[in-house]
Order: sequence, then C-alpha cells, then structure tokens
Amino acid sequence: MTSVRPKLKPDTPKTITAWETASGKVVWLRADQTWTSDPGEIGVFTGDAAEAALEGAKTQEGEITDPYFMEVTEDGKVAGRETLRETIRANGPTVPYGVII
Amino acid sequence: MYRYDEFDAQIVKERVDQFRSQVERRLSGDILEDEFKPLRLQNGVYLQLHAYMLRVAIPYGQLNAARMRKLAKVARDYDRGYGHMTTRQNIQYNWVALKDIPDVLEELAEVEMHAIQTSGNCIRNVTSDHFAGATKDEIMDPRPWCEIIRQWSTFHPEFAFLPRKFKIAVTAAEHDRAAIRVHDIGLHMRERDGVVGFEVHVGGGQGRTPIIAAMVNEFVPESEILDYLEAIMRVYNRFGRRDNKYKARIKILVTETGPEEFTRLVEEEYAAQQTSEKIALPEAEIDRINAYFAPPAFEDKTETSAAFERAKTADPAFANWAKVNLHPHKVAGYTSVTISLKPIAGLAGDATDSQMMVMAHLAERYGFDDIRVTHAQNVVLPHIALDDLYEVYRELAAAGLATANESLITDMIVCPGLDYCNLANARSIPVGQEIQKVFADPAYEQDIGKLHINISGCINACGHHHVGHIGILGVDRKGEEYYQVSLGGRADEKATVGQIIGKALRYEEVPSAVKTIVDTYRDLRTSQDEKFIDTVERLGVEPFQEAIYATD
Repeated sequence: MTSVRPKLKPDTPKTITAWETASGKVVWLRADQTWTSDPGEIGVFTGDAAEAALEGAKTQEGEITDPYFMEVTEDGKVAGRETLRETIRANGPTVPYGVII
Repeated sequence: MYRYDEFDAQIVKERVDQFRSQVERRLSGDILEDEFKPLRLQNGVYLQLHAYMLRVAIPYGQLNAARMRKLAKVARDYDRGYGHMTTRQNIQYNWVALKDIPDVLEELAEVEMHAIQTSGNCIRNVTSDHFAGATKDEIMDPRPWCEIIRQWSTFHPEFAFLPRKFKIAVTAAEHDRAAIRVHDIGLHMRERDGVVGFEVHVGGGQGRTPIIAAMVNEFVPESEILDYLEAIMRVYNRFGRRDNKYKARIKILVTETGPEEFTRLVEEEYAAQQTSEKIALPEAEIDRINAYFAPPAFEDKTETSAAFERAKTADPAFANWAKVNLHPHKVAGYTSVTISLKPIAGLAGDATDSQMMVMAHLAERYGFDDIRVTHAQNVVLPHIALDDLYEVYRELAAAGLATANESLITDMIVCPGLDYCNLANARSIPVGQEIQKVFADPAYEQDIGKLHINISGCINACGHHHVGHIGILGVDRKGEEYYQVSLGGRADEKATVGQIIGKALRYEEVPSAVKTIVDTYRDLRTSQDEKFIDTVERLGVEPFQEAIYATD
C-alpha cells in the first residue's frame, strides 16, 4: 500500500482507482467495470457491489497496480477526506511544470 | 570523475537486462506488485501519486557534459521535458512509464550511470561538498574517498538488506556544506601530523525523529576507514531494529544504546576483525582513483580579471548575480558558479531538457567538463575562469538560469510535496513559490542576507525542514493543508534541529508569517553582519513567536 487509504462505510459512494501498470497512469473503474483514465467517466459503487468490484480489480494486477477504494459523490466526483490528494492525483500537479520561468 | 572498468560496465549491463526481464514479467502479470515492488525499488523506481518516478544516481553530485546531455535526452524522450534535482544530489523523473524504464537504464549505462541503490534499505548515494576540488576552504579533495566508499558500498552483499536506508556524506572543508551531521554516517576529513583521516559522526538524521549525529571517533586514519565503516555497519545490521520501520534507522540505535556504548560496540567489532577481513586497499588502486579526480589544467592567471571588472561595470544585473552566486576558488583567476534552480515562482530544483543542454555546453566550453548537483537542489560549475564569466552568465540568463539568489531566502530546499508524492500530506512547491513572491525584490532579499528556508510536505522531511533556518512542515488537518513553522535549525558544522514556534498555520497565512519573522529579525539584528540564524541563536524563538502569535 503506497498512499492513504481511509476506511469507507459500505453505503458511502466510492469507486476503485489504481495505476495502469505499463504507463503508471492513474485509472478509475467505469460502471461497466472497465478502466478509464478520464475522471469524467468514474463509476460509482456501494455495498457488496463495491466490494466485488475491488476484488475483481485485484485479479487484474497485471494490467493495473494496487487498486483501492476512493470516495466519490453520487455523480462520480472526488469527495471525502482525501479530496485534495485525489484531485491532484486526477488532475496533475497544481503548479505548471517543465517550463522555463 | 569516476570511470567504469570492464567489470563495472558488465555488471550494470547485466543489471539492466535483469530488470528488463522483471518488467516484462510484471507487465505480463507473471509477477504481481507485491513481488515486483522490492525489485523495482532496487532499481530506483517508485510509484508516486500520478505515475512512476525514476531516481537516477549522480555519485556525490558530479556530472560531465555527456552525462548531463544524456539526462536531458531522458527527460525529452521518456519524460515530460524536465528533471528534478534532489537533496541527495541525484535526479528524479516524475512521469516515466514502467515499460520504458529498461530502455532508459540502457541509455544511462552508455554514459556510466544507473539507478542502483537510489532506493531500498541499502547504502544510498554518497554525497559531498558541491565545491569539492575547487573551494579554498578544503584541506583536500574529498571525492576520491567518496568514490572509494561508493565502490565499497555498491553491491556489498552484507549491507544489501539493512534495517533501513543508509546515507553517508563526506566533506573536507571547515564549513560543512554537505550536512554531514544529519546523516547516518558523516565523515569530516582531517589531517593530523601529516596523516589524512576522518572525524566520524554517526546517527544523525531527520524524518519524524530528527537527531544530530554523535561523534564516535575523532580521527580514523584513511588506511583504516573502510574497516571502521564496516564495523559501524555490522553493529547496525546486528542491533538495529527491524520490528518497527520508524525506529529502524541507526540514529535510534545510537540514541537508545547511548553514543558511548555504541562507540564501544563499534570499537569491539573493529578490534574483532580478522586480519584476513581487513580491506587493504593497494596503493596503486588509491592512486588510480585519485587520478580520476586530478585537478584540471588551470591556466596561470591573476586574482583579478579586467574583463570581469569591465562587464560588472557595464551590466548591473551581471554585477548583482556575480555578487551572490560565486564561491571563492582555490586557484587564482577562477571561481565556482552556482546556477540557481530557484527562479522566483518557479519549480524548485527542476531543470528542463533545454536548460540541461545549456549547462552541459557551458561546462564543456568553459568549465573543464565538470558539473555538480548540490544538496540544496542547484547546479554548480566549479571551475570557471573570471575572464569567461560574463559569457557564461549571458548564456545562463538566456536560458532562465541566472537567478541571483544562492543561499538567500528565495533559494529554498523544497520537496515535491503533495503535487507529486504519495506520502505527502500537503503541497510544498506552491507554498515556496508564494513565499518567494514576498521576497522577490533583490534589494530586500540581499538586505536580509543568508537565510535558508526548507519546506517538507510531510514528516518524512525530504525538504530538510528540521535544519532550515526557517523550517516549514506541511501537515494534514482533516483533509486541509496546514504548515508548522520552526526556527533556528541549521545543517552546517553547528547543526541544530529547529524549534517549532507555535500552532500550525493555514496555507494562505504562511507567506505573511515568514515576512513577519524576517522583518522581526531585521528589527532585532545588531547590525547587517548579524545573520538571521545568529539572531535566532542570540535571542531564542520567543520574539518571533510573539510577533506571529501575539494577536491571537
């Protein structure tokens, strides 16, 4: 485990997030249980379905790495205690980079 | 500059091939992350917030033009056009894809570079004074011994699985620019009755338990130093804690055992070494390594340069830069140039691929092919003739590399923080940028004088906040970024851990709090010669606490 993983209640809306193994790109699980690197396509899960989705993700550890629950709103926006971290993780650094100042 | 022999080249090539196979197996799913993680870490590969991060070793921070160009090429071809200089004088790439890393390592091997032992519980890159071999205030060049220690510690089977990571720094100058007292082992080269030796400090470190190293031996002759280091490592390997990651560094062992008892254990271990175990370095081998670091062919020059003086008169910006960013050289007519990677509101420690190419060109054209990365995340051209300085400056300025702030308040050590790091609790880079903006006026900044601000985004202290004159530590308060301020830390020969001055501040409060601290210092200093750190030492932190918190 490499980052903060808050415990989420079963009925808290959540998604599964991970890194694409080959590229290191951040990915999230869509509602149809495929992976996306577009935070606009995040699938929302709760309860047993969420647990099953995480277990399913763990069986794909060739394609993706270190899946975990991330709290989201009911419409799939980053939410909860780790909002800042997960927003930066989704959108990239808050400072411009690779430029000459 | 070190050189690979045929065995070095072969072993690095084999290591690249081995890692390529490991990556292939990871990508095919034959091995999973838990199995792969220790393998990737042994090759400098981390998984960070957004992507993989590759840390490449730069032995004691020294590069030449060919190596710097290769680093630029890696940034351009495999990353997003930049690299980040670290406090271990290494470079990190933030966006490199795992599938490409074997190719990157193969390219690096072409110029005798690798990422071995830049991570994991082993002996990491040996660091040193970035002015080594150039500065007036050293008794000798420490790099040959850095190189000998590097060779000794690389792939040393006994020390591949230490309780925790292990960092060694070496200096030979009276003024410690290598922060040796906050290292697991800090070595200060000394000369006694014509014999070269080392003052040995052990058990320094930062992180969540900042400790200044204890001096365990005043003088170990150079002929015995590797055996002595081995004795220290064996005591650590045997008694260092493995049950708790946060208590596993040697600083905890030294503190819990007590420096006297720890020293006794080391001496006992040293005395127990069999003759057959002793590392008797052949004189020829020492000569061979010394030859790698032979001084360049300096020309006979006078102390002053008419061209330099003329340029200063003609170009005030150059004169200002030269006043701040030069360090006295041991050879007349030469100087050491600090290339600041801390432009105002820039990315602390970052250099773009094009900037790396400029630095490589300048080193080759004017600087005897010598480049250093500093632990303060800048770059140094150690040997520049005063006669050539204006040309060097103009090319640096054209590349955005002529910020005149070396060791001033805007020249901060800043960790990547929550903008990149998986461990961070708060952002460091933008806080640093906001502070820089407050002190952007060169006259104001120079009036303040030497002042080190160090910023870390979490308690792991990669931004060395404990030893900043002003230290800033990012903490998490229910998902919000707060910053704890400490004062009075220093990393030099008077190394001290800073004192926290009060409750943590909100992100937006930090720049004005730093300004209050600085203006309080300006009011209280006895004269402009009294540096910030000296005022804090004279008066303690109370006047600064009052200035910030009195209205609460």
